[in-house]
Amino acid sequence: MTRLERRNLRNGLLFISPWIAGFLGFELYPLLMSVYYSFTEFNVIQPPVWSGLANYHELFFDDPVFWRALYNTLYFTAFSVPACLAASIGIAVLLNQKIPAMSVFRTIFFLPSIVPLVASSVLWLWVLNPDSGLINMALKQIFGIEGPGWLADANWAKPALVLMSVWGIGGAVVIFLAGLSDVPPALYEVAELDGAGPFRKFWNVTLPMLTPTILFNLVMGLINAFQYFTQVYVMTGGKGTPVDSTMFYALYLYRSSFFYLRMGYASAMAWLLFIVILAATVGVLVSSKRWVYYHGD
Amino acid sequence: MYLSRSHIVWALAGLACVASAYVLWPRQAATDAERRALAEGRTIIVYWDRHSGHEHEARMRLIDEFNERQSEVYVRGVAVGFNALMEKTLTSTAGHAPPDVQSIDSTFLAQLAPQGIFRPLDDLIAEEPSLHREKFFPFCWDMVFYSGHVWGIPTTTDSYCLLWNKAAFRKAGLDPERPPRTLQELTDYAAKLTIRGETGEIEQMGFLPWLPWDLTHMWGALFGGEWFNYATGRAEIAQDEHLRAAYEWQQSFAYDPGAKEQLPYAMDPERIEAFSKGFGEYFSASNPFYSGKVAMIAEGEWQVTFIPKYAPGLDWGVAPIPQPEGAPPLSYGPAAVVDVIPSTARHPEAAKKFLRWFYSPRPNGGTSPASDYTFEIHNIATRRDEAVQERFVADPKFRVFVNELLTKPVASMPNMPVSLYMMDQIERQRSRVVFRRSTPEQALRDAEAMTNRALDRVRALMARGGGPAGGKTP
Repeated sequence: MTRLERRNLRNGLLFISPWIAGFLGFELYPLLMSVYYSFTEFNVIQPPVWSGLANYHELFFDDPVFWRALYNTLYFTAFSVPACLAASIGIAVLLNQKIPAMSVFRTIFFLPSIVPLVASSVLWLWVLNPDSGLINMALKQIFGIEGPGWLADANWAKPALVLMSVWGIGGAVVIFLAGLSDVPPALYEVAELDGAGPFRKFWNVTLPMLTPTILFNLVMGLINAFQYFTQVYVMTGGKGTPVDSTMFYALYLYRSSFFYLRMGYASAMAWLLFIVILAATVGVLVSSKRWVYYHGD
Repeated sequence: MYLSRSHIVWALAGLACVASAYVLWPRQAATDAERRALAEGRTIIVYWDRHSGHEHEARMRLIDEFNERQSEVYVRGVAVGFNALMEKTLTSTAGHAPPDVQSIDSTFLAQLAPQGIFRPLDDLIAEEPSLHREKFFPFCWDMVFYSGHVWGIPTTTDSYCLLWNKAAFRKAGLDPERPPRTLQELTDYAAKLTIRGETGEIEQMGFLPWLPWDLTHMWGALFGGEWFNYATGRAEIAQDEHLRAAYEWQQSFAYDPGAKEQLPYAMDPERIEAFSKGFGEYFSASNPFYSGKVAMIAEGEWQVTFIPKYAPGLDWGVAPIPQPEGAPPLSYGPAAVVDVIPSTARHPEAAKKFLRWFYSPRPNGGTSPASDYTFEIHNIATRRDEAVQERFVADPKFRVFVNELLTKPVASMPNMPVSLYMMDQIERQRSRVVFRRSTPEQALRDAEAMTNRALDRVRALMARGGGPAGGKTP
């Protein structure tokens, strides 16, 4: 290493030192400590007491709410992530048309994403109101259907939240729009020469070319869905009602830590969630070799 | 001297560091008044208020008065609010940066005091005659007294009664001056006062036991049940027939899918939830009782002030909540707001000085600031002689609430180390029972098992951690 390189290294390290200090103190240390806490009974106030695998044992064998929360979260993830992906691709394709005032439409579709989660959750409480909400009113007026109870009905509460999650896809749409602008026009021209219609072009050109973007949005969507919290906290007052149907994993984790003073138990829950998310992400990444096409390859 | 570009960059970077340190460095005084207080040599203490909004403003007026009247202590009042109060209390304690004094709910105290995070106030209580045990309602004293120590001073408490809408009574052909007196009458009236629309949706609800919020604990107590056995230090509820009856009674308000004929006051549980989701803000004109959506409701004394404010035209009455036949007469004062001093507070003596002033009568027979505060926020004072001050009981409606606490034994939420957890469990089970995911028997068994397991765990932890023994248990 030359003198200049050493100096650059030193200066570089100095400049990123606030980040390094922050990362070590506020990220890595808590992360490692939470592994330790997960093997203890810890209420923040008193020193943790080693309990071995007791927290994990209780989670697996003695806590029905844990399984309920895990099921609810998997259910939500399984429906919300594909629904959001499909909707955002569809909207991105529509917003990629060359018509006047497109930037206005793009703004409109992105707007919900900048509404604070708490505000949009309160708004959706009204939209989903079974008696006077917009959705059930529309169902009744237009189709003559008596709408479901949505958040009031234990069977419909999760579908209601899935429906609501589709509203906040603005971010994904923007990423898909960027992906769409990367599709070489020549491919469409070739497809047209081969006689492909709009659907064939979408299926055989657009979609394969979008697969790297889909992969990115899928992974991000999975991670976010597994940690779903704010909306359900606001909409059910943090209780996961009715009858635990919206008791999501992160909500139960929060209740365990700050209401029941069980930081060790909550840490164990957090690490189990980490493993679940890791497994899902690795699964998606491994499978991506079969379905993601990188244009540059 | 020649200044290279890199010298300038380094000098600027250094300056930026110094400037940010200066900006971020914590200051003892945040306002001009505090700077003056510091210059006068006063101790600045921090008070965390569990309330925000108009209740905090009332508190601040008294804090200002304290700051003006003496020259040793200066109190900085901070509205922490109820949301995230537990998180803030916990993290400030864990981070060794708690306030010097704070107000919290007695249920939180029950859960936190056994962990030793508050300072015992025995010396303050002993030397201040107005804080002696016999001054307080016994149920309020029980909320702060554990393991032979006093951990907080109860400031305000509540009492629950039945409120009824007289106009709705008239419309239903009921005597508007005669509230239901028995449980049977309550359900009969509920049936008459429930109005359904063409498609069966609820337009007006007569009565629902879990409005304005889950009151399972109250119903269990009013039915004669015991949620917690202080003698054994355990929840022994699985076999309690009164608690089972209370769950069954609540369940009877929801349709029984297996029944050929539904009870006249019963409603479709999903319609109930749907109807409840349409309620507006609690403190607004669209509160379901104010707007006439609900004809009878179990509520607290604060409504005496809020109804004239938000629904000035509402014609309403207040009466004791009916109990089942044979159940011992009981009133319900679930909790209190209490002042505590964290064990790691930096200025405990200054904090005590403030508390002593707050709870003592003003000179020349004046009222105590605590009583003024209680009056301002329309709660009930925790000391008997203050609760019956003319300004409180002059209002005939408010008097009904106070009388309940004066004339009957009072049931309160369990005061033990897992009180919040237990309340969560019994409320969770209530919704399971109402939606028929569980039977009342099973619900009680589950709540008992979960609560006792949590208790065992906390007690084992306390035994190892060396904290004071929890609850009023031996």
